[in-house]
Amino acid sequence: MNASLQSLTNALTEIVGARWVKSRAAELTAYDSDGLPGYRATPRLVVLPGSRDEVCAVVRLLAERGIPFVPRGAGTGLSGGSLANDAVVIGLNRLTRIHSIDAGNRIAHVEPGVVNASLARAVSPFGLYYAPDPSSQAACTIGGNVAENAGGPHCLKYGVTLNHIAALTVCLPDGELVSFGSSVSEDTGYDLCGLFIGSEGCFGIATDIWVRLLPVPEQVRTLLADFSSVTDAARAVSAIIATGIVPAALEMMDQSTIRAVEASIYAAGYPVDAAAVLLAEVDGLAIGLDDDVRVIEQCCRDAGARNVRIASNDADRARLWQGRKKAFGALGRIAPHLVVQDAVVPRTKLPQILAEIHEIGARYNVNVCNVFHAGDGNLHPNISYDASDPQQSERVHAAMSEIMHACINAGGTITGEHGVGLDKLGYMEDLFSAPSLAAMCSVREVFDPERRANPGKVVPVHSCREWSGSSRH
Amino acid sequence: MSTTVAELAAQVAQAHVSAEPLRVVGGGTWLQAGRSCFGTALRVGEYVGIVDYTPGDLTLTARAGTTLEAIAEATAAHGQWLPLDPEALPGATIGATIATASDGPLAFAMGRVRDQVLGIECVTGTGEVTRAGGRVVKNVAGFDLVRLHTGAWGTLGVITEVSVRLRARPEVDRAFVVASDDRVSLESRLAPLADLLIAPLALELLSGALATALGVHDHMCLLVRLAGNATRVNAQVEALGALGDVKEVPVSVFDALSRLSPAGAMVARVSHMPTHFSATWRHVMDHLSASQCWQPLVRGSIARGVVRVGALFEQDVPVLERFVRGMAPPGAAVAWEMLPDDGWQYVPSSVSDRVSMGLRRALDPAWILNRGLLGESMDAVRV
Ligand SMILES: Cc1cc2nc3c(=O)[nH]c(=O)nc-3n(C[C@H](O)[C@H](O)[C@H](O)COP(=O)(O)OP(=O)(O)OC[C@H]3O[C@@H](n4cnc5c(N)ncnc54)[C@H](O)[C@@H]3O)c2cc1C
Repeated sequence: MNASLQSLTNALTEIVGARWVKSRAAELTAYDSDGLPGYRATPRLVVLPGSRDEVCAVVRLLAERGIPFVPRGAGTGLSGGSLANDAVVIGLNRLTRIHSIDAGNRIAHVEPGVVNASLARAVSPFGLYYAPDPSSQAACTIGGNVAENAGGPHCLKYGVTLNHIAALTVCLPDGELVSFGSSVSEDTGYDLCGLFIGSEGCFGIATDIWVRLLPVPEQVRTLLADFSSVTDAARAVSAIIATGIVPAALEMMDQSTIRAVEASIYAAGYPVDAAAVLLAEVDGLAIGLDDDVRVIEQCCRDAGARNVRIASNDADRARLWQGRKKAFGALGRIAPHLVVQDAVVPRTKLPQILAEIHEIGARYNVNVCNVFHAGDGNLHPNISYDASDPQQSERVHAAMSEIMHACINAGGTITGEHGVGLDKLGYMEDLFSAPSLAAMCSVREVFDPERRANPGKVVPVHSCREWSGSSRH
Repeated sequence: MSTTVAELAAQVAQAHVSAEPLRVVGGGTWLQAGRSCFGTALRVGEYVGIVDYTPGDLTLTARAGTTLEAIAEATAAHGQWLPLDPEALPGATIGATIATASDGPLAFAMGRVRDQVLGIECVTGTGEVTRAGGRVVKNVAGFDLVRLHTGAWGTLGVITEVSVRLRARPEVDRAFVVASDDRVSLESRLAPLADLLIAPLALELLSGALATALGVHDHMCLLVRLAGNATRVNAQVEALGALGDVKEVPVSVFDALSRLSPAGAMVARVSHMPTHFSATWRHVMDHLSASQCWQPLVRGSIARGVVRVGALFEQDVPVLERFVRGMAPPGAAVAWEMLPDDGWQYVPSSVSDRVSMGLRRALDPAWILNRGLLGESMDAVRV
């Protein structure tokens, strides 16, 4: 270990204790990747602070020494956001306290390392729940959800993380602690809380998060409709949305996904000969809910559904959902690696884009499976492959790139919930003009003038240089 | 007269170079969030038109000067609507609605203004045309400058185009007034709400003067909007009975509600935790009568803890200070939307923190856009 690294280790040890500074190669490998396959980066050190004060002390120390850092939650991110190339990783997993649950005002104050599913468990005795439910909820942290503006199947009706955060305390990259939003009233001034959400660790570290909670709906109904063509399923989605009923969730799985799920331990009883299934859920007041179910069922039948099944009890419901929630897990078992892609198209473009994706997959000889939030037009085309085979990797990347461009051309975007991170950097210029990217860079500089917080992510570096050159008079 | 983004951008770029202040004007019907701000008018209200509307996508893109009425008309033709109901006169524009982010009663069920905006095109203070977000309903590509511009009152950029989320109109949409015994405390009148099986589109408490002005009742009462399928709405109407006497009123009462603030009124939003709602309401009402504001138009979004005041105040300046400073009870926040010029000196800036000032400097380095709004003081920004 060289002298400056040793001195840094010592200084960090003084703040958090020797046990919480990781510097040995064997320890660092646990932090050299996230949920994005095919990328690895080795951090300089990993430090695990145990309190808000320790986070600030660590960040201040790194600021004094001009050292870049990467905040990290559970490392389930799918865009490479928590990869740290020679930067210091600040792991937030020890910050798992739920400071308070105010059932009357439906708000909870939590630390960033609280796991999404444990928050759900903690608030359920109050008849409340936290709406954003990423499929990774058993592992991912609320801090990571805030940083990525995470979504999930139930975001169709209830919105994404942005819509459920009241306030934040943030440790800025120079170590100063600031508050954004308000946990007790309406926010006044700029929406800094909204600006911070989705900033992917580039604006500082969220140390305290006030999340809004919702009352558990009185009743829930879940339907499974199966179709002999993907286009019919997509038509049903449009028809349902057009009725004015906002389903709690409206998810689609194509045949490859159905077959992978049914061949796995997560088999949910989906018909394996269907071209696509639609999983729809409505919730709310019990009264009138069956009317909504009938309308949705009719929409599916009119669009050509072969069969519509309505879950008869909670166990049946859970089983229908298990297939969807574990679809990535089932797909991951087909081959050593799985790219979980994320893009959005206008809802009316779903049939067209699904056909295009199918064609692109065939042309590159890769197996694309689609399992996605159809109600939002948020696609997840996934490819199972072997990342150690360079030729196969090459084909997978080329196919993904074409798929991304097809989504952009359809009027969509390159990510609906997984973030830009490293993986999508290359597409940012296809989506935004140079002045737009430059404006993003200048906003980033307000938070982090030295660009030490999660450097090299979200906005391509050269976009920022252009801004500095052309707009600073 | 500016009619293209390029022309608007050129005007801003010119003003940036000559450090000449600009006042962004939409429909010109709007409120003020700061000292009456001076400068050459930049007329965005003339930049009108719906750019893209595919009903099946339930999204719409319009130029900033497009009026809310024009959007309502275009979307109604397809059984859809943009559920934003800010306090606004006819002719109010979508750009200003988003720049001010002033929520109406529908925010209770539909979400706030910030929750409906998908994308923004905006001219920064240097005259650069920038975009953030997009036209799709889910999007996390890049930093969220959409949220930053929403509610920034045009101080970080001139909004020139927006994309918003639409909803399909509910099958049934009805409004009801619920009146209960005045002699009972507000707490006990509102208590049954907690256990009521209702999911209203909007639920507002109206002051007696406001109910009278709307012609729906002559005392304090609840105004409830119920929507959805007929079975559900009917069941909820019945449930409302637990709160008092229920009377149906035309749903257009909600439109009237957003147009009621009298000319010259002072308008404020006082907000605190929902559990403090009754206390907040009582404080505001007591403060208004102590300040001799008679017949104030006050309404409260109970579940959001927000009390909105529109009142005429005709005292002299020393009393004005007490009026402004005392509007919110301890712990609550107040956002002033309209005040006479003399009143603004008593309102602390809401953008004087380090990050807000940094953003202002980054996006409007010559400090030309809507100077003085959001209570921002001249010294603060010049630092
Ligand atoms: C099987 C699977 C399914 C998934 N399903 C979904 C889904 O349905 N919806 C969805 O949106 N995502 C999904 N994801 C992606 C991922 O789980 C989310 O992005 C999640 O929010 C990341 O949380 P994390 O704690 O793992 O964050 P990490 O991966 O550790 O970090 C993600 C980013 O957040 C930053 N960060 C972390 N904590 C903080 C903090 N406290 N302050 C500031 N920055 C911070 C990091 O620097 C990094 O840039 C899925 C992932 C997997 C593996």
